[in-house]
Amino acid sequence: MGCLEMTTIVDKGELKSRNSMIATYLVIGGAVIAVMMIFGVLMLLAQGGVLDLSPAAFYQFLTIHGTGMIGAAALAAVGLMWYFLRDYVELSKKVFTWNLILFLIALVMIIVGVFSFEYASAWTFLYPLPALSAGAWGIIGALLYLGGMLVLGTGFLLLYIDTGRAIIRKYGSLGKGLGWDVISGKKDVKDAPPATVIASTMVTIVNTTAIVAGAVVLIMNVINVINPAFTFDPLLAKNLTYAFGHIFANAIIYMGVIVVYEILPRYTNRKWAVNKSFLIAWTMSTAFTLVIYTHHMLMDSVMPKWMLIMGQALSYANGIPVLVVTAYGALMIVYKSGIKWDMASGLAFLSMFGWSVGVVPAIVDATIVVNHVMHNTKWVPGHFHMYMGLGAVVMLFAFMYYLAKVDSNLKPNGLDKLAFVCYTLAMISISAQFLVSGAISTPRRWATHFPEWMGPALFGAIAGVFLVIATSIFITHFIRYIIVRNKTGSDFYERKLA
Amino acid sequence: MKKTGFAFVLYILMIISPIRNFIESIMIAHMLIQLPLLIFVGWLIGHFIVEKFHSLFNSWNINGVPGMIIVVFITMYWMIPRTLDEALTIGFMEVFKFTSLPVAGVILFDSWRRIGDLGKSFIFLNYLSMFGLMAWLYIDSPIQICNNYLTGQQRILGWGFLIITLAMALYTIQSVFTDHSEENVL
Repeated sequence: MGCLEMTTIVDKGELKSRNSMIATYLVIGGAVIAVMMIFGVLMLLAQGGVLDLSPAAFYQFLTIHGTGMIGAAALAAVGLMWYFLRDYVELSKKVFTWNLILFLIALVMIIVGVFSFEYASAWTFLYPLPALSAGAWGIIGALLYLGGMLVLGTGFLLLYIDTGRAIIRKYGSLGKGLGWDVISGKKDVKDAPPATVIASTMVTIVNTTAIVAGAVVLIMNVINVINPAFTFDPLLAKNLTYAFGHIFANAIIYMGVIVVYEILPRYTNRKWAVNKSFLIAWTMSTAFTLVIYTHHMLMDSVMPKWMLIMGQALSYANGIPVLVVTAYGALMIVYKSGIKWDMASGLAFLSMFGWSVGVVPAIVDATIVVNHVMHNTKWVPGHFHMYMGLGAVVMLFAFMYYLAKVDSNLKPNGLDKLAFVCYTLAMISISAQFLVSGAISTPRRWATHFPEWMGPALFGAIAGVFLVIATSIFITHFIRYIIVRNKTGSDFYERKLA
Repeated sequence: MKKTGFAFVLYILMIISPIRNFIESIMIAHMLIQLPLLIFVGWLIGHFIVEKFHSLFNSWNINGVPGMIIVVFITMYWMIPRTLDEALTIGFMEVFKFTSLPVAGVILFDSWRRIGDLGKSFIFLNYLSMFGLMAWLYIDSPIQICNNYLTGQQRILGWGFLIITLAMALYTIQSVFTDHSEENVL
């Protein structure tokens, strides 16, 4: 789709020249994701037996990889959400800036904690591991990591308070932001909030809850690290840890999907229809995302049985309705629309595929009888690499290309298209090798593998190299956009439309 | 002026030895009645003090953030179990408690008007998680945290914190899900 055509379909709300902060969010998020991929490749090479990595270094890489990926993807996803949400509600740029500053402070604390003080508990910081490292790391490393997570959470909490306030101010309540008055029939479906507002409301609710829960368990770990005489119920600690981690990671895709809701209608000149099914699906996801973290605890036999059954049953009911209405909506909006595919729309559509297929191994693992066999194998990273790498992160890249397109005259070239294919195949390969490893009972989070387990890891490492190359091309395109934009000025919209 | 008078009477009542000793003999009353009441005293006289020293407060607490940081630090300090112990065994710590908390109340009065909705929500959620943490700490701790109070007392205090946490959570839920269309703010 050419520039001229594009300009005819941009909304008035897009006519904003101040995208610098959003570009900063995305470039930092994208760059950190790329660097984290390199750590992923190094870990797979070590597991594949071709790189001599000490176990201590492996677990440090594991810690930074998981924390960095989720943190960076969440940062970029928030940038994406903020970009579109500001068209509907009044958001504070100051808070948006503060979130970035706090993220960077947290990033430095975590990096110093992991690499200078050898902290390596994985992102789960599962109590009492931060305090009981068997000499692998000390108090300072643990405090830097846990403190960094708290600072990170503070920034995001400020941001979600702001989005929540803005939504309530415009729509009256968070319930109305989810369209409950439409569901109950008090309001006509044509007056329902836009999909972006609905998704943002959902994320605001679940992530605020997650961060509050996370703060409690993080500070509890801090107390335990400082004075190990204070011991706590490990099961409650694990519940709170996953209530934080699962929700926060899960919410990335719910922020990312906003790009699908926003750009496919602009490319097809069709409206994304918000109907009652759509609203109900999002309300279900809001409620269930809060409680399904228990599917991480299906192997904890001391958990109340009803919570585990809930973890299984509601896991099915959580993601699928939203996925179905979104995937169906995406198919319908594209069907016979005459859409001209480009990088942004192609990536947005790919992300729907990634989300759809990535859910399958998750659902399989959320089934109790399967979970007992598969949960500690590489099947689980297989699920979330597919779900995040082929779903959520692709949404972020789609947004990067979209922003570069509408905010500058930069056009993707053949290399970008090659990177698209390369990224897709590489990410599928990486996910598949994890799933295959899981199927042959390879344990996850192990620095060293038996020779029988090494083949898939090595295959994944090679695919990972291509993934890093493809991602670098995506990010290079975005950096070129920033450079072009700095040269041409920030009023490209206005000039293009004039 | 009426409020200031009431605050004065309340403060005197709390200083009176039998009342003070009684309250401080029960851990939950010490932490969840005496300390908040001392802050409340400061809040009540806040109007008088802030009016009187208007320019002074304006000079350093214009957006309420510095004041709120001081309030958070003072209240966090008094939530540390050891400080309760010290207030009971060291005289000047008791004096410090009876002065720092009313001061926190005065600053809270001034800051709360200034920090805006975002700041209020942030502080509220911050205390929600902090009280949740204190509930867990006092209920679950296998050791006696204070020399002056037995573990049974600290557990009761923990349950008190838990009730406050749940009440705050319920308040938050009703606040964000009830209709604010007619208002302009949360």
